[in-house]
Amino acid sequence: MISKNMEDAQADVKRGIKEAQDQAEAFFGGKGLTDPIPTVEDKWKLLPAFLKVKGLVKQHIDSFNYFINVDLENIIKANERVKSDVDPHFYLKYTGIRVGAPERPDQEAMNRSYTPHECRLRDLTYSANIYVDIEYVRGRQIVRRKGVPIGRMPIMLRSSHCVLTGRNELELAKMNECPLDPGGYFVVKGVEKVILVQEQMSKNRIIVDVDRKGFVQAGVTSSTMERKSKTYVGTKHGKIYLKHNSISEDIPIVVALKAMGMQSDKEITQLVCGQDSKYIDKFSPNLEECSSMKIFTQQQALDYIGSKIDARKRSFGPGLRRPASEEALEILGSVVLAHVEVFDNNFRPKCIYVAVMTRRVVMAMLRGDLVDDRDYVGNKRLELAGQLLSLLFEDLFKKFNSDLKMNIDKVLKKPNRTQEFDVYSQLLFHGDHITSGFVRAISSGNWSLKRFRMERAGVTQVLSRLSFIAALGMMTRISSQFEKTRKVSGPRALQPSQWGMLCPSDTPEGEACGLVKNLALMTHITVDDEEAPLVKLSYILGCEDVSLLTGPEVYLPDTFLVFLNGNILGITRHSAQFVSAFRRMRRAGRISEFVSIFISDHHNSVHISCDGGRICRPLIIVENGKPRVRTEHIEQLSAGKLAFDDFLRMGLIEYLDVNEESDSNIALYEREIIPESTHVEIEPFTILGAVAGLIPYPHHNQSPRNTYQCAMGKQAIGAIAYNQLNRIDTLLYLMVYPQQPMVKTKTIEMIGYDKLPAGQNATVAVMSNSGYDIEDALVLNKASLDRGYGRCQVLRKYATLLRQYPNGSYDRLADPPVHPDDPNTVQEKYEVLDKDGIASVGERIKPGQVYINKQMPTNTSSDIGVNSRDPTANAYKNAPMSYKSGMEGYVDKVLMTTTDNDQTLIKALIRQTRRPELGDKFSSRHGQKGVCGIIIQQEDMPFSDLGVCPDVIMNPHGFPSRMTVGKMIELLAGKAGVLKGELQYGTAFGGSKVEDMSRILIENGFSYSGKDYVTSGVTGEPLSAYIYFGPVYYQKLKHMVMDKMHSRSRGPRAVLTRQPTEGRSRDGGLRLGEMERDCLIGYGASMLLLERLMISSDIFEIHVCEMCGLLGYAGWCQHCKSSKGMAKMQIPYACKLLFQELQSMNVIPRLQLQNVF
Amino acid sequence: MNYNATQSTAPKAPAPAMTYICAECGSDNEIKPKEPIRCKECGYRIMYKKRTKRMVQFEAR
Repeated sequence: MISKNMEDAQADVKRGIKEAQDQAEAFFGGKGLTDPIPTVEDKWKLLPAFLKVKGLVKQHIDSFNYFINVDLENIIKANERVKSDVDPHFYLKYTGIRVGAPERPDQEAMNRSYTPHECRLRDLTYSANIYVDIEYVRGRQIVRRKGVPIGRMPIMLRSSHCVLTGRNELELAKMNECPLDPGGYFVVKGVEKVILVQEQMSKNRIIVDVDRKGFVQAGVTSSTMERKSKTYVGTKHGKIYLKHNSISEDIPIVVALKAMGMQSDKEITQLVCGQDSKYIDKFSPNLEECSSMKIFTQQQALDYIGSKIDARKRSFGPGLRRPASEEALEILGSVVLAHVEVFDNNFRPKCIYVAVMTRRVVMAMLRGDLVDDRDYVGNKRLELAGQLLSLLFEDLFKKFNSDLKMNIDKVLKKPNRTQEFDVYSQLLFHGDHITSGFVRAISSGNWSLKRFRMERAGVTQVLSRLSFIAALGMMTRISSQFEKTRKVSGPRALQPSQWGMLCPSDTPEGEACGLVKNLALMTHITVDDEEAPLVKLSYILGCEDVSLLTGPEVYLPDTFLVFLNGNILGITRHSAQFVSAFRRMRRAGRISEFVSIFISDHHNSVHISCDGGRICRPLIIVENGKPRVRTEHIEQLSAGKLAFDDFLRMGLIEYLDVNEESDSNIALYEREIIPESTHVEIEPFTILGAVAGLIPYPHHNQSPRNTYQCAMGKQAIGAIAYNQLNRIDTLLYLMVYPQQPMVKTKTIEMIGYDKLPAGQNATVAVMSNSGYDIEDALVLNKASLDRGYGRCQVLRKYATLLRQYPNGSYDRLADPPVHPDDPNTVQEKYEVLDKDGIASVGERIKPGQVYINKQMPTNTSSDIGVNSRDPTANAYKNAPMSYKSGMEGYVDKVLMTTTDNDQTLIKALIRQTRRPELGDKFSSRHGQKGVCGIIIQQEDMPFSDLGVCPDVIMNPHGFPSRMTVGKMIELLAGKAGVLKGELQYGTAFGGSKVEDMSRILIENGFSYSGKDYVTSGVTGEPLSAYIYFGPVYYQKLKHMVMDKMHSRSRGPRAVLTRQPTEGRSRDGGLRLGEMERDCLIGYGASMLLLERLMISSDIFEIHVCEMCGLLGYAGWCQHCKSSKGMAKMQIPYACKLLFQELQSMNVIPRLQLQNVF
Repeated sequence: MNYNATQSTAPKAPAPAMTYICAECGSDNEIKPKEPIRCKECGYRIMYKKRTKRMVQFEAR
């Protein structure tokens, strides 16, 4: 019986399994429940495809292209007419504008086109003419002209107008340009300048925050083409006020609303609070205040506001005195909340906007957590080169036009002119206001615009060419507008919303920590887009005009306000459908892919944005739990049949900005997709930036180590660009034998670091050796140095201008003078000079030798007569340039050219080859820096059983506290790669696995742990431990002992104080500072103090009169007119100076002398 | 040119013309002091100085 039941049960189970299998067959296509889910292979291939069209420096280029191709025309349209106050019939109208190709300003040149490299060499500005089309009145007719140049615009490298765009490697090589150079910078006066990305709070958005006194306020920075202003709706003593700069006092909010035409209290209450009684309770004191002020009508409210308007701010020309109430209406209409435009005195949209702001304040008063986070990346906008240049151009163009108008008026004022007046000639001879304005702003970095009262310094920086990575890292840098002294941690902290947008590792240490950020690998920054189509689309998709509704309707539970770029567009009652329909339109390519739309559940609103400066990144769309990008798509991508833009067009991937990202469910990996998922990441390692992407296995390191490496990677010496030997930079560090890392990352391949590497794969033994390796010092193998390990070249530019002076005299070059004793030879100092007075190329030059024998005229100011007989009039004095360095060098290159103002420019490049020495700085890619502590002969180096000798011995004490496990894995992977003969990957969140590496080691007869048997080179005995041994990528950093080494016994002194000079460059002394002085005082070493501070410094002998206590001559006091009692003593010269300075201020210091011994 | 700069009043000796290499087309150009720097072949305005004729000894370290 029992067994029967058992059998039944077993049969049941079997049947059950069979059924389940059948089901699996039917539903899962033969796959079992535990089978791995197939994932899209090689999703990361989207990344190089992305980097081809967007990313890294493309945002700079896109922004500049937008400015030059679109924005320029808008600016012209906004300022198209120039009129004359004198002649009402006259006008000049700009009908078009375009920027030409980069051309040299030199008129007689055969080939006008020039390359950026020529500009670098000749100290020119890489710029193109700005041409305008004009239409103007000449006499009685209207004249049209096309292509009138008004100035020159610096051109961003690799932008749409640059000669380098769209060229292949060969063409670039012919232009002396590196194909791996990212572009995105300017060449101004021969210097490469980057306009850094500026971080700002977003414009035209309501931000609720708490002010210093703890009161809630909602602020909006309105920004339109005409004006920028900041409006607040804030609280004070529980009541709500409108604050604005142009109104001297805070206006009660109800008064403000009444002034804008909402007279009924009920209407106001409803528009602010809806039907919610809690809100009404909180808001009602405001109504009471208004009625207690006896303001009931619009006119009364306007009168009240009018009386509060700053009298100085009343403009609109003299004579035109208007009643205060009209003034108030004008300000409310066009200045307060300027971005909400008022058409035909219809204040309704603005009323609603103010009401919504007020509602946000009321809500935040009741619920403290509704205050916005100012550090949220979605509330930030990034300002790029294009926007900054557009502001600058608008300012310059306005100035240009007002100057032009002044000149026109001046001419037209004359009653009878000899010629018919033609503006064209005025326009042509109008000077280079625009040209010089651009050059000045970019080369100094000072953006001062009168119109917006904007004064910004340090906007541009010189592109650092220390290494390829330094240049690239600079292009992705974002500087924040916050002042550095503020003691709040918020802006510096890592924001969760910066995931994937800004690199979490790459930020400087110290002062600017967290304020200077870097873009992540897949970030793109949007440019402005048209609003009109979006307005239309919103209305089509069921958005209702808000002006037709009353408060209670607007604030119904299912009703969502629709905002477009911060302006209220209307409401929608079906927010989810509205948003998904909108997104479908975007995925179908009907609207720009950079338009973002998201729902804010806190405020019951839908936000659409198409403004510029938003940070966004691409993600794979997930539908019904499956990513839309499939393996076949990737295959087509690899085959070159699809490009990144095709993926966008096909709706497989889309761009999300930070706000929309927060409204999405993004799976990190495909296996983590849940039914609610909307997107999946393309590749997790893209959260890091370009610089942090160099680190192998960064996910195994302690996070500050990655940050340190980000700072150090920029100082590594390596290859800089393919054109590095054609460049003449002030200072250029090059590595002689750079190698690509054994353990690379996908980022390295994508940015081209494997083609322009900065470092070498050193065989490292992690062991203690000799005691010269404590405190992170490294032991280097001498034979390795002989073979070229860590060898680098330092090229320094020495330039001079042969000036022409106002009086017509010139600088000149003189031939090498002959030896005073033997006229057939030349003094050693002038040995390397050629006949033309410049050192020959290839010549070895020792410190102190002259390389450019320049002479300057003694008289450069006063006139010299042509036949002047005065011999001193055109005499010359020697001004030779001599080589100063600690080491001999070779003249690498001498270039002669003319600058744009026809002066001869001579640049000499002198090269030094340096091998590593004691004290030179090295670092691995894990923030593990160290100096060379000792160089050991290879014979004394330990060696493994294969006879392998390490290049570098690293002290194992570097590991425990720093926890850079990534470095250990790099060593292991590198060793496996060497043995197998292939490169390994250490890509973040992936890369070659330790287990696989160990297997390769075992296959090749090594220990899986990476440790080797090692014999001591000194004793010949085996070491008592196995040594962790293998290749690690080491960088040589630019800090070298030779550039820092300094000592002095005697030397130059400063003229004024007669104290030793300061600093290495002036052969200065080493200062015994205050703190050192304090120590000596505390110790009582008075004679040592006296020696250090006076005898060895600025000792001075004086003669003091014992009677009057004043300084006198030796044996004569001029004050007492006597020679009695003159004493000789020694004081510091600075002390004597002080006495004299006091005397000059009518203070008499008298010395009272006593016998000491 | 006369070296003794401070007393240079005597008429200058005929300036030596040196040959330089044009950075664009590579042709030799004779340029005298004070002459504008401009290639007579292609009009390019960058010139490089020629390598020294003297022997140069390198230290192989």
